[in-house]
Amino acid sequence: MRFILEINLRGSGRDMNEKIKISTRNLSVFYGPKQALFDINLDLVENKVTALIGPSGCGKSTFIRCLNRMNDVIDLCKVEGSIKVDGKEINTKNTDVNLIRERIGMVFQKPNPFPKSIYDNVAYGPRIHGLAENQEILNTIVENSLKKAALWNEVKDRLNQPGTGLSGGQQQRLCIARAISINPEVILMDEPCSALDPIATAKIEELIDELKKSYTIVIVTHSMSQAARVSQNTGFFHLGKLIEFNLTEKIFKNPDNKMTQDYITGRFG
Amino acid sequence: MTEHIVKSYEGQLQELTNIIVKMGGLAESQFSNSMIALLKRDQDLADKVIGKDFLMNEFDIKVENSVINLIALRQPMGIDLRETVSSMRISSELERIGDLSKNIAKRVRFMNFDLPSDIIASFKRASDVVQKNLKDVLDSYSRRTKDLAFRVWNSDLEVDDLVNKAMDEAMVFMKKDKKNLEISTQFLFAAKHIERIGDHVTNISENIYFLVTGDQIKGTRSKKRSTEE
Amino acid sequence: MSKVEKIKLLKKRYKAERRFKFYGILSVCLAILFLFILIINIFSKGSGAFFKTEILLNIKFDEKKLGLNINSSDKEIQEANFEEILKDALLVLAPKVPELKQAELIDMVSIDAALEVKKFYFYNKGVLNKIAEVPLTLSDDLDQVYKGNFPRDIPEERRRFSDFQLKIFDDQISKNKIVYKFNWSFLTNADSREPELAGVASSLAGSFFTILVCLILSFPIGILAAIYLEEFAPKNKITEIIEVNVNNLAAVPSIVFGLLGLGVFLNYFYLPRSTPLVGGMVLALMTLPRIIIPCRAALKAVPPSIREGALALGASKVQTVMHNVVPLAMPGTLSGTIIGLSQALGETAPLLLIGMIAFINVVPATPIDPSAVLPVQVYLWSESAERGFVEKTSATIIILIFFLIIMNSFAIYLRNKFERKWS
Repeated sequence: MRFILEINLRGSGRDMNEKIKISTRNLSVFYGPKQALFDINLDLVENKVTALIGPSGCGKSTFIRCLNRMNDVIDLCKVEGSIKVDGKEINTKNTDVNLIRERIGMVFQKPNPFPKSIYDNVAYGPRIHGLAENQEILNTIVENSLKKAALWNEVKDRLNQPGTGLSGGQQQRLCIARAISINPEVILMDEPCSALDPIATAKIEELIDELKKSYTIVIVTHSMSQAARVSQNTGFFHLGKLIEFNLTEKIFKNPDNKMTQDYITGRFG
Repeated sequence: MTEHIVKSYEGQLQELTNIIVKMGGLAESQFSNSMIALLKRDQDLADKVIGKDFLMNEFDIKVENSVINLIALRQPMGIDLRETVSSMRISSELERIGDLSKNIAKRVRFMNFDLPSDIIASFKRASDVVQKNLKDVLDSYSRRTKDLAFRVWNSDLEVDDLVNKAMDEAMVFMKKDKKNLEISTQFLFAAKHIERIGDHVTNISENIYFLVTGDQIKGTRSKKRSTEE
Repeated sequence: MSKVEKIKLLKKRYKAERRFKFYGILSVCLAILFLFILIINIFSKGSGAFFKTEILLNIKFDEKKLGLNINSSDKEIQEANFEEILKDALLVLAPKVPELKQAELIDMVSIDAALEVKKFYFYNKGVLNKIAEVPLTLSDDLDQVYKGNFPRDIPEERRRFSDFQLKIFDDQISKNKIVYKFNWSFLTNADSREPELAGVASSLAGSFFTILVCLILSFPIGILAAIYLEEFAPKNKITEIIEVNVNNLAAVPSIVFGLLGLGVFLNYFYLPRSTPLVGGMVLALMTLPRIIIPCRAALKAVPPSIREGALALGASKVQTVMHNVVPLAMPGTLSGTIIGLSQALGETAPLLLIGMIAFINVVPATPIDPSAVLPVQVYLWSESAERGFVEKTSATIIILIFFLIIMNSFAIYLRNKFERKWS
């Protein structure tokens, strides 16, 4: 009978053993006089993939850029509210952003390998953070990172060639390898597949599935089917507000909010 | 509900609903006609019912095709996904109802004399309830309301009781005289068909509940189900 | 619109396109034509300066007249007088002429001819008391005659050379005693009042030192300023004003920088006048905005995604900029710098004001020796009356253009070699 698989999807259906990795409370972001995010309260579960969806300009990218303090780079950008990583506040003046970014890595929309060799691309992070005491350890780190990013077999014979010479999908996996080379706890992905073809996209998605065993992943995506495929939790942003945050199945089968419903079914006005 | 941005998508979903509504109408008339033919021993009407059954199958195939197309080409989500999936299920339930109506109509040929009016009456009672349920469930489909569907789902017990009663009466009648054996057997089969149609109607109501709320109707299908909500 | 009208319109559009193409090609052709005329003109005028005429003269190195013997030291040779044996040898060409004509005879060779004889003896000491054939530079007037720049058929009193000189000269030509060869002394000699002796060595060295000083000053300052302004400076009113002023500075007439150099470096700091040091400093001021602007443009052209990539890895701002942004901006910066320097190389006006226009007849050895530079040399020579300086002027322009082309090609090479394609 089809009732055997009856799952209670409503609120309390969450696994109580889940550990919250990052939680934001009343997080608001201002670009000058313009408010881009309004009181976001969101919990990111450890070793789960959280997808953020919403129309362009809804603030989802702004949100994940808060998590590793990348918004600090932008003048005029003011971030208010609380961001706790493992229960520790990071949105303070005293927080060392470089250490935060070491713990919370990021992969961008457009593959952005450095114009260096493949090896140096991956070795860059460990070098600046002094993670490798000698060349041998560094070699191991590079190899493991590339293996984790499922790129090792494709590039092991040409580690000295420029990273920019790879195909788009390979470049993006190189960027993922670069991000995991410093062994972060969280990986933020800002539309990582928007510049890739479906096969390359599938490879990245498979990789995300694999990576979630060791990392907490947040992915911003415009493709709802991608959010549905890779994530366990999904948040829907609209006009700087978090409209709904729920289990991915719930969001795509039967969202609570009418606005979410309209967005995922393509009825948005 | 807000319209889809893509109008042809909206059109396809609307078309699917329209087929189901038409199919439901046909199922209703097939069932009621088969009952009239059975109870009045109207062979012409029975032939008509049998002759129309292929339409139900055609509808079912049509629904199946458009559902597969929708899933493959539109990747429906949320309400659209539920709409699509439940359409397919409802259509196959209706198709089964059509088949069972045809089977009832086929019994007419073997009825060699009229039954006592009290048995006829209790058969009519049972089939009336099922017919009303079918009508209600189709109404609730076209109006997308869960309350009516929930009522139908809960009234399944009543159908079972009525059918059992009719069967008991038919059995008593059968025991009276050996010549009653054949006609009573036909009636027993017909009673079983009515009960099955009732079950299919309940299934449709479950689908409508899922379509409207996104949840399954709570509780198990026991005789002693609670009447919560 | 009917089909006929449509076809008409289409034809009109194609016609307009062809017309536009034609204008474009025409203007390119015109530009090439002008350039061609300029180059032809300069080369036809200037190429002569790379060659000179010499006369082969039989000179008797008489022991007594020189006052030297086989064991004379180098110092004694330096002090010895070679004028007399030179005069004797010249007089042999036309014996028994009056005194007046003798002077004309001596004028046929350059006034440094005696020095050339001395130099010849210096390297060939074995010729003492013997007769040797010594090549001597002819006076520039006869040189010009040989090159065909001076017409022979105008009246004698309007010529810079006499019939007598011409007769002897032709006589020597017929005896194959006149040779025409590559003029190394043009590249190795310093400036001189005598066109046949004047060379670009001093201004070449001057230009080299000036550009060196300019490079050493402007490159690091320009790059650091550009990096700071582009990457680190907060975006506010002050940096905006600085930015506008840097751009304005690039448009300031170069002579203003000369005035600044005169007022500050010479009159206030008392730095040595006419030296490549001050010249380089003035040119560095002028070049700074021309380095800052392309360097900033190159930094700006580095996609922000590269910066974000590095920052997201936890690299500090300086690490991000130095490891990832600057290397990407380097080709653009370098070619901008080289083009800025090549502009400085061709600059005249500011250098005139700080006294680099002085007549310098020695090759400078350090940046604090007075010297001229190539463009100023062009200016100086173009002012001179002697016919010989006309071709020297053009020849100097050729040398200047040669260096500019080399520098610009180097800039293009750098740009192509190191330019990375980032998607």
